[in-house]
Parts: sequence; C-alpha cells; structure tokens
Amino acid sequence: MTDDNKKLRLELIIESPALRRAEDLLRDAGATGWTVVPAMSGFGGQTRWSRGTDISEATDMVVLICIADEDVLEPALKTILSMLDRRIGVVNVSDVRVLRPGLF
Amino acid sequence: MNALDTLLSPVVLFFALGLCAALLRSPMSVPQSFAKGLAIYLMMAIGLKGGVEMSKTAIDGQVFAVFGAATILSFGMPLIAYAALRFTSGLSKTDAAATAGHYGSISIVTFVAAIEALRIAGVPSSGYLVAVAAIMETPAIITALWLAMRGSKKSDADEVARDKGELAREVLLNASIVVLLGALVIGAVAGAEGYERLSPFFTAPFQGILCLFMLDMGLNAGRGLRRGWRKLGVAPILFGIYMPLIGASIAAVCCILIGLQPGDMALLMVLSASASYIAVPAAMRLALPESDPSVYLTLSLGVTFPFNIALGIPLYIAAASMLAG
Repeated sequence: MTDDNKKLRLELIIESPALRRAEDLLRDAGATGWTVVPAMSGFGGQTRWSRGTDISEATDMVVLICIADEDVLEPALKTILSMLDRRIGVVNVSDVRVLRPGLF
Repeated sequence: MNALDTLLSPVVLFFALGLCAALLRSPMSVPQSFAKGLAIYLMMAIGLKGGVEMSKTAIDGQVFAVFGAATILSFGMPLIAYAALRFTSGLSKTDAAATAGHYGSISIVTFVAAIEALRIAGVPSSGYLVAVAAIMETPAIITALWLAMRGSKKSDADEVARDKGELAREVLLNASIVVLLGALVIGAVAGAEGYERLSPFFTAPFQGILCLFMLDMGLNAGRGLRRGWRKLGVAPILFGIYMPLIGASIAAVCCILIGLQPGDMALLMVLSASASYIAVPAAMRLALPESDPSVYLTLSLGVTFPFNIALGIPLYIAAASMLAG
C-alpha cells in the first residue's frame, strides 16, 4: 500500500433534519462521496432514543460516513464542529486505508 | 352525540389502547413507513371529500374571511402561548418559542377525528375547511422563529438564514400541505362523479384506517409521555390542557363575527385548539436545534392530542352548536 491508500474517515451521527446541511458542507469542501445509514437506537444525555417512535421523524438520527483525503476533510471539520455547537451529534475521525484510492 | 358516545367510539378506544400499551411498555409497534402511508391516506381522503364539497358550492366573501381569520389565528396563537409559557412555567425562551409554534399550527389527525365526529353527529360542515387546515400549518412557525430569534446571537440568526432554503421546503412543501391541497384540487376537478369511482377506496375503509392510525397515535403519545413527563412540571402540563381551550375560544369569537354555521365553527375551533406534531417539530429541529423536543412533542402529542380527542372535540361541537345553532 502507498500513501495514496491513506485517507481520513469521518463518521457523523446527527439528527436527520440537519443532514442536508452536513452534506452541503462536505460537498463544498470537495468530498466526492459519502454514505448515510439510519441509526436504530441509542442512549445519550440521560435519554434513551430509538428510531420509529416519533411520528414527525424530526428526532430520528442518521450516521453519515465520508472517506476522503486529509486536505479535503480537515477544513470541513471546522465548519462541521461549528454546526454541532447548537445541535445534538457525535463526530469522530479516524485514519483508514482504502483499497481503491482512485475512488476518493 | 354526547361526550360519552365520543369517549366510547372505536376511534377514541383504539387511541386509548395504544396509549395504555405504550405506558405499560408493550413492545407492540406499527411500522413507521406504514403509519406514514396511513397518514397520507387519511389526508388524501379528507382532501378529496373537501374538494368535492367545494366543487358544489361557490366561494364567497365568507370563505375568504375564514381564510383571513385562520391566517391571523395561526400567526397570533404562538404569541399567546409563548406569553403563557414564559409567565407560568420555567421553560427557556427557546423551548417556550418552539412549543408556542406547535400551538399555532394544527393537528391534521385531530381535524380528521373532528370531521368524523361531526359526520356521526349529523352536523354538516364545508369542504373548504380542509384548505383552512393547510393554511394554518405554516404561519405559526414564522412567529415561533421570530420569538426565538429576538435578541439572540447574530451567529444563531445567521445559521437560520443559511438553512432558509431547507426550512422553506420543510415548511411550505411538507407532506400535509402537498397532500391536503393537492387532493383538495383533485377533488374539486373530479367532482362528485369522479369521486364516486374512488369511493370504495376512500369511503368504506376510512373508519377502519382511522382506527388503525389512532392506535399508532396512542402508541406515539404514550411513548412520548413515558419519555418526557419527567422534564415537564405541572405548569407546562396544565398549559397543554388550557391552551387548546384558549385557542378554541378565540376561534369561536372569530366564527361568531364571521357568522359561520355550527359545523364549520366547530372545525375552526378544533384547528385552533390542536397542536402540531408532524410539520412543526421538523422545522424546529432544523431552525432551533437547541430547543428540547421532549418538551414540545410530549406536550402536543402526549397531553393536548389526547385531551382534544377524548374531551375537546365533543366540547367544541357542543359549544359551536350552542353559539351558532
């Protein structure tokens, strides 16, 4: 594996109404792709939550996963962090190695 | 139809069943996408019926007066709700504003239940009230945002401004508005003859599907209460009961001034008394993410919705019959 295979993996757990905003930030930063999956249930802030219990779906959580080069994700992280100032969410970044670097 | 008949109607009893099941921690659930489909069916059904009724009658000045009153009610009710919450409860400015927005907007399921109660009671109502329901969905959100943003940090206001496209889409093109208004127009275009062909799908199964949806609403209300009651004190819970009565009373005064018939008056009272739990929560999570959903969802769905379904609707119908009869 070469340095080209090394990427950053962003994982953002966020309320579904804020998803589009997060996607816009990633797109503006130059990310070429990401995946969103539904979060089923969890516990945080002394509250247990689970998908499908709120008819408005306003409190449903989603997980956004984005793998990109460091120079793409690092600037986006600042704006994502400022977005989370007012919102519920968990964000983490990890180093990963991809098998097909040309896709990212 | 008296209050006991309403309380013992299958619609209310299925709601009570769902509520009890959730409070007893039953694992029973209605799949979310199925419940969403049921909600769309109910909105299509009342939209179509409203459109057919509208096609039979001319739109006159009284209708426009009701549209105007509904808009003012939706803009104005959050101001009263906000003042009441800030004065009586310890809710923060943001939570009070977000909650107030719910009480200016409407609950379409309460409206559907009221139409059904009027039908069973043999009290006629006009089809254009469906359009009134759609009109009242949105203005309250604008008032709630204004209340929350007064004196707030510039960065917060900037963030709301950044989300305005998404917010506008959520507020103006949510499923309730699109389906209600769309079905209303389709019903008006199709007329009675066109509706007759759809009748086997929209008339006979309507009651059963409403019961099924009410079961899910009971489950939602019960879960909301179970999760959120600890965060609510006595004052917010009382607010969830007296605020619908204030809303209905103000709507009744408007209806008397306009000269509406009892059925239409009862429906406008129901709309004004009901609180949103679909369109407004989504807008509030987007624009006021620091507001606590367990406060406004518990109040609108866990307190006000059951109150209106069990006691409010028969009360508003009786009051309208007395005032306009």
